[in-house]
Amino acid sequence: MQTYQPPLRDMRFVLHELHGSESLKDMKGLEEVTPDLIDAVLEEAGKLVTEVLAPINMAADQEGCAYENGVVRTPKGFKQAYDTYREGGWNGIACDPEWGGQGLPASVTKFIEEMMCSANLAFGLYPGLTHGAYIALKNHASQELKERYLPKMVEGSWTGTMCLTEPHCGTDLGLLRTKAEPQDDGSYAITGNKIFISAGEHDLTENIIHLVLARLPDAPKGIKGISLFLVPKFLPTEDGRPGMRNGVQCTGIEHKMGIHGSATCQLSFDDAKGWLVGEPHKGMRAMFSMMNSERLSVGTQGLGVGEAAYQGAVTYAKERLQGRALTGAKYPDKPADPIIVHPDVRRTLMTMRAYNEGCRALSGWVARNLDLMERSNDPEERQQAEDFTALMTPIVKAMFTDLGFTNASLGVQVYGGHGYIRDHGMEQYLRDARIAMIYEGTNGVQALDLVGRKLGAHTGRYLRAFFHPVLNYIDAKLDDPDLGPLVGPLGKAFGALQLATAHIAEKGMKDPDEAGAAATEYLRLFGLVALGYMWVRMTEVALQKRGAANGEAAFYEAKIVTARFFIDRLLPEVAALWGSIKTGKASMMALDDAAF
Amino acid sequence: MNEIKKVAVIGAGVMGAGIAAHVANAGIPVLLLDIVPEGAANRNAIAEGAIARLLKADPAAFMSKAAAKLVTPGNTEDHLDQLASCDWIVEAVIERLDIKQALYAKIEAARTPGCAVSSNTSTIPLADLTSGLPESFARDFLITHFFNPPRYMRLLEIVAGPKTDPATVAKVCAFADVKLGKTVVTCKDTPGFIANRLGTFWLNLAVGEAIEKGLKVEEADAVMGRPFGIPKTGIFGLLDLVGLDLMPHVQGSLERALPKSDAFHATLRDIPLVKTMIETGYTGRKGKGGFYRLNRENGGKVKEAIDLSTGAYRPQEKAALPELEDGGGKDLLALLSAPGAAGRYAWAVMGRTLSYAARLVGEAADDVVAIDEAMRLGYNWKWGPFELIDKIGAANLIARLKADGEEIPALLAGAEAKPFYRVENGKRQYLGLDGAYHDVTRPDGVLLLADIKLNSEPLMKNGSAALWDIGDGVVCLEFTSKGNSLDEGIITLLGKATRLVKDKYKALVIYNEGSNFSVGANLGLALFACNIAAFGEVEKLVATGQKAYQDLKYAPFPVVSAPAGMALGGGCEILLHSDAVQAHAESYIGLVECGVGLLPGWGGCKEMLTRWQNAKGMPKGPMPATSKVFELVSVATVSKSAAEAKEYLFLRETDGITMNRDRLLADAKAKALALAENYVPPKPKDLTLPGPSGKTALVMAAESFHKRGIATKHDLVVASALAEVLSGGKADHIEPVTEAQVLELERANFMRLIKTNATLARIEHTLETGRPLRN
Repeated sequence: MQTYQPPLRDMRFVLHELHGSESLKDMKGLEEVTPDLIDAVLEEAGKLVTEVLAPINMAADQEGCAYENGVVRTPKGFKQAYDTYREGGWNGIACDPEWGGQGLPASVTKFIEEMMCSANLAFGLYPGLTHGAYIALKNHASQELKERYLPKMVEGSWTGTMCLTEPHCGTDLGLLRTKAEPQDDGSYAITGNKIFISAGEHDLTENIIHLVLARLPDAPKGIKGISLFLVPKFLPTEDGRPGMRNGVQCTGIEHKMGIHGSATCQLSFDDAKGWLVGEPHKGMRAMFSMMNSERLSVGTQGLGVGEAAYQGAVTYAKERLQGRALTGAKYPDKPADPIIVHPDVRRTLMTMRAYNEGCRALSGWVARNLDLMERSNDPEERQQAEDFTALMTPIVKAMFTDLGFTNASLGVQVYGGHGYIRDHGMEQYLRDARIAMIYEGTNGVQALDLVGRKLGAHTGRYLRAFFHPVLNYIDAKLDDPDLGPLVGPLGKAFGALQLATAHIAEKGMKDPDEAGAAATEYLRLFGLVALGYMWVRMTEVALQKRGAANGEAAFYEAKIVTARFFIDRLLPEVAALWGSIKTGKASMMALDDAAF
Repeated sequence: MNEIKKVAVIGAGVMGAGIAAHVANAGIPVLLLDIVPEGAANRNAIAEGAIARLLKADPAAFMSKAAAKLVTPGNTEDHLDQLASCDWIVEAVIERLDIKQALYAKIEAARTPGCAVSSNTSTIPLADLTSGLPESFARDFLITHFFNPPRYMRLLEIVAGPKTDPATVAKVCAFADVKLGKTVVTCKDTPGFIANRLGTFWLNLAVGEAIEKGLKVEEADAVMGRPFGIPKTGIFGLLDLVGLDLMPHVQGSLERALPKSDAFHATLRDIPLVKTMIETGYTGRKGKGGFYRLNRENGGKVKEAIDLSTGAYRPQEKAALPELEDGGGKDLLALLSAPGAAGRYAWAVMGRTLSYAARLVGEAADDVVAIDEAMRLGYNWKWGPFELIDKIGAANLIARLKADGEEIPALLAGAEAKPFYRVENGKRQYLGLDGAYHDVTRPDGVLLLADIKLNSEPLMKNGSAALWDIGDGVVCLEFTSKGNSLDEGIITLLGKATRLVKDKYKALVIYNEGSNFSVGANLGLALFACNIAAFGEVEKLVATGQKAYQDLKYAPFPVVSAPAGMALGGGCEILLHSDAVQAHAESYIGLVECGVGLLPGWGGCKEMLTRWQNAKGMPKGPMPATSKVFELVSVATVSKSAAEAKEYLFLRETDGITMNRDRLLADAKAKALALAENYVPPKPKDLTLPGPSGKTALVMAAESFHKRGIATKHDLVVASALAEVLSGGKADHIEPVTEAQVLELERANFMRLIKTNATLARIEHTLETGRPLRN
C-alpha cells in the first residue's frame, strides 16, 4: 500500500539535533531561519504532499502522459495539483529573494524535495527541472535574460528544461550536433533534435523555457565547442506574457518503465530563436552548475522512493498474517502471526530503515555544506564546503539511488506476490526508482567521476573535507564507553577506505583502467563509511537524549538499535568491497571482446 | 708555463664582462680592460660600470662575493703593461676586424711570449684575424667562442689555426674544461663555427616558414619546442630572449662569409615585421616587447602575443594543434609526416635543418659528436641533430628529402641503413665520415654514470633509486624518481646500500645525472597521505628517513655526496649527513621546508645546529648557533652556488667544488677513496641549546616581522615550531641535548605542522603552481 506519511520527526532530528540547525541563522541571508520556522515549513510541506501529491501518484502512473499533434497532456489531477503547488509558493522556496524566492536554505528544502519524491516522483520532476534551469540562468545568464525569465520561473508560471541528449549522444556530449547560427539581432537560430527531455512539453504552465546545448558555427570539435542557449516555447512579449510560438515542437513522448506521469519528450528545434547563456563554447560549465545540483536531487529521489517503500512494507508486515513465529506463536489470539515476527522480514525492514535514515542524515550533512558554500562569511569555510560537496555529489547520486532501488525491491519482497501486482503500488516504486540510477549521469559515470575527477583533484584536497573530520571523531570517541563498540568497527571501515583510496590513487595513476575497475565498489565503500559515520554520530545524540526524552524515548531507542544493526549487519560489506578492489582489474579485463 | 694563473679580458661588454666574472668564479684573478671614454674623469669607467652590472645581474654572474673581488678593472691605455703577468688574454671587443687587429698589435707588444691570446669572435674566421700579424702571435692565438651567459652556458667552441701551437691549445682547453667547467668543442675555421651556423639556419627557416605557412607564434613554438626536445621557448620565445636585434648581425656576417652555394642563403628572407619591430624598439624581453609581451596597461598583467600577419598584439593563446594533443608529438616521424599545418611546418624546418647539419660534418666539424654537443650545450637542445635523425630514422629522412627534390648529403646517405650512434661492447660509438664506427671518447678524468650504465647492471634498484658499482670498491647511489624527489623507495634503498657497502665495498657516493640532485621529499605523496588522514604513514616516513640518514652518518665507511643543480630540503639533509661533499659549482642548496609550512625533519635542524655551534668565530653560549640556523631556515634560504653554500655551512670549508659537471663523479669518487684510507666514523656530538627562553626570543623576533608585514600568520606558526626545535624544547642550557632528542623534536613539530590546513594549502599551492603560498 502506498501509505506514505512524511517522517517529520526524523527530519527534525537530523536538522536540529544532529546538524544543529540553530546555527543556520549565523549564515548570510538566513537571519530569520529559526528552528520554529523550519518546523512550520516542513509541517506545511508535509500536508501538501500527503493531501495533494500522494493521492494522485498511483492513478497517474496507470494513466501516464498522452501525446497528440505536438501537444502533451499530463495525467488527471496534475494540472490542479501543480496550481495548488504554485499558488502555495513552493516553486520559489529555495530561490533567491532577489528573484522572488523565499531564500530557504538547502538544509531545509532538501527535506521538502525528499517528501515530494516519496509522494509523487513523476510530479516532482516538473518543478525540479525548473529549479535546475533557474540555477544555470542565475549563475551564467546576462542580467537582461535573468530579468525577463527568472521571476516567472521562480513563481512557477513558466517551467524549465535541460536539453542535452540527442539520438546519437548521451553520456558523450562531445558528439552533439544541434547548431546555433548567430542572427543580426544578437539572438541565435537553433536547429536540431533532442530526446529524453523531461518536462519538454506539457499542459501545466503557459510557457516552457528550454536550456539547450548546441554548437556555434566556429566551435572547436568535441566537448570544448558546446554553448548553452535559452530557447522559450513562446517568445515573451515586452510585458512578459507568452507571445509568438517559437520554432520548437514536441514530436513524441517516450513509453517508459516508470515515472509515467513525467513527460519525456522528443523535441525538434527548427530555426528556433534562442539566446546565449554564458560565454561561447563554455556551455558545459554553465550546464554543470545545474547538473551538480540536479545530481544531488536525483540522489534525493532514491531516498524518497526508498522511504515510501519502507513505509509500505512496514504496514504490510504488521497486517499480513501468515504462519507463526519460529519460536512459537507471538499473537496466539490471531489466526496467524503477522509476518513481522520473522527474522528475515526483520532483516529486510531493518535494512531499509537503516539505509533510509542513514542517507537522510548524510543528505543533511551535504545540504549543510551546500548552504555553507553559498553563505558562509569565511572564505576558507566556503572552500571546504565546496570541496566536500564536490566529493559527495557522485556518492549521494549513485549510492542513494542504488539503495533506493534496493529498498523498493525489498518493499516488493515483503509483499510477496502482492507486491508484484499493481494493486498495492509497490511495483510502481520499483519501476520509478530505476531511472534515478540512470539519468543525470549513470551510476557508473558517477563512480568514474569520484575516482577520476574528485579523488585526485588538488592532490586529494577534496578528500580532506571528509577524512579529517571523520578521523578526528573516531580518535575522540574511540575510548567512549557507550560509543566505543560502534566506533571500533567504524574505525576499521575507515581504515579500509584509506587503504582503498591510496590503492586507487597509486594504481590508477599508472593505469586508468585500474581506477575504472575499482570505481563502483569504491564509491559504495566510501558511501557505507559515510553512512557509518552518520550512524555513530546519531547514536551519540540519541544516547544523550534517551534519558530526558519527554515521551520520545522510543524514538531514541529505535535510533540506537538501528545504528547497531547498521554497524553489525551492513557496514561489514566494506571488508568485502576492499577485498574485491584489491584484486585489481585482471579478471575483469582479461577476456577478449570477441569472447563475450 | 703550463698553468693559467692570471687572465686578462679586453672588452667589458656583456660577453667580456661575463667571461671575466666566470674566470673569477674559478678563483683566478682577472684583469678587465676597456677603452677610456672620451673626456672621462674616471678612465676605468667602462670596466667599473661593467663590474657594477655584473654584481646586479640576474641570474647572478658571480658565484660568491670573494669571486667578485678577483676582477680588477682597468683601461687599455694605462694598464696594458699588466698584460705581461697574464697567462691568457681574451679579446672580446666589437666585431670589427680593423679594431681587433689594432688591439692585437698592442697585445703582442705587451704580453709575455707563450701567453695564450684568444678572441671571442662569433663570426670572423681565424685566418682573417691573424693575417698580417707576426708568426709569434699566430702561434699563441686561437678563437674561444663563449655563449651567453658565460657562467651558465656550458659550450665553448674553440678554433685553432694551422700555426697555433698545440701546447697553447691544450693549455687553454684544459683550463676551460677543468677550471671554467666548459665542454670544449673543437671547430674548423669556418664562418659562425658550429652552433650559430646551424642555429641561425634553423631560426631563419623556422621564422620564415611560420610566417609563410600562416602559423601563430604559439603554434610555431609548440611544434618547434617540446616535441624535438628543444626548450619550450621554441623559436619566437628564444628570439625574444636573445634579442631580435642580434639576429641581423649574425645573419649578415654569415651571408657575407658563406659561399653562394651554401644552403644557408636559401633561408634568408625579407621579413618586414621583424625589421619594423627592431626599428621601433620591440627587440624582445630587453626591449618594449617581442613576439610575446606582458601588457601591463590599465594596471593589468595580460600575456600577449603578436599576430604575425598584422603585427598587432592580441591575448596569448594556447596552441590548439590536434597533432600535438593526446601525447602526439612524441613520435617525431608521425609529426613530420602529419598532414596538417603542424606537420608541414615541422617538416619544412627540421627536414632541411637536419640535412644541413649533415653537410656541416667535415666542413665545420670533424664529426657528428661535435655538432650534437654544440647544439645540446649551445642551444639547450635535449638531443643533437644526429640523435634526432636516429629517432626519425635516416632512411625516412632521406626518402622525404628525395621526394622534395633535395640533394642528399653524403654522410646522411651513408647512414641510410645504420644509426649515427650505437652501443657496442658497452661503449657508445658514432658513425664517422669514413663510414666506420668510432668510440665516443671522453676527456681524461671524466666519469659518467651514463657510460657506466651502458656496460653494467645495477647492484640493486627499485622504482625510485639504483645502486651502481663504479669501480675501485665504490658504490654509487642514484636517484631515479621524478625530480629525484625523495620517497619511501629511496629511503629503503639507502638502508640497503648502507648494509651492502659495509659488507663488500669501501665507500658510497650519492650522485645522479638529473638536472637536479634532489628537489626534496615527494610532497605530492605526503599531501595525499595527509588529505586521507593517513598521518601514521607520514610519521613513519619521517622516522625511517631520520634513521636512514643517521645510519648513513655513522656508517663504518665514508659517504660522499655529489650534488649538481638543486639540493633542497631532504636533498640538502643528505648532504648534511655525508662525511664529505663534492659539489658541482652550480649547486643550489637549502633547507626550504618552511616555505611549504614544514620544517627540516630528517635531521636537518640537528646537523645545522651542530655545524654552527662548532663553527669558527661563533660567540660563546647556546644562543648564537640557534639564532643563526633559525635565520637561515625560517626564510628558506637557498644558496645561489656551491661557493655560497659554504657561507651558510650547507657545505663545509673542506667540501670540494667541481666546475665541470662531467668531472663531478670522478672527483667525488676520488674524495671517497681518499677518505676510505683509515676511515673512522664520526662520534655523535651533544648540543648545548637555550631551551624555552631561547624559543621566546626567536618567536618574539618572528612576531616583530609579522607586525611589520614581512611574515604572515602561518609563518608565525611555522617559526614557532622551528624555534621549539632549534632551542631544544624543554632543554636547560646546562644539560647537553643529544642528537636523538633533537630528532624527536623535529619529528613531533613536523607532524604538528603537517596537520594544519594552512601547511596543506601551502604544499598544494606549491605543487600546482611551483610558487610559494603566502598564507
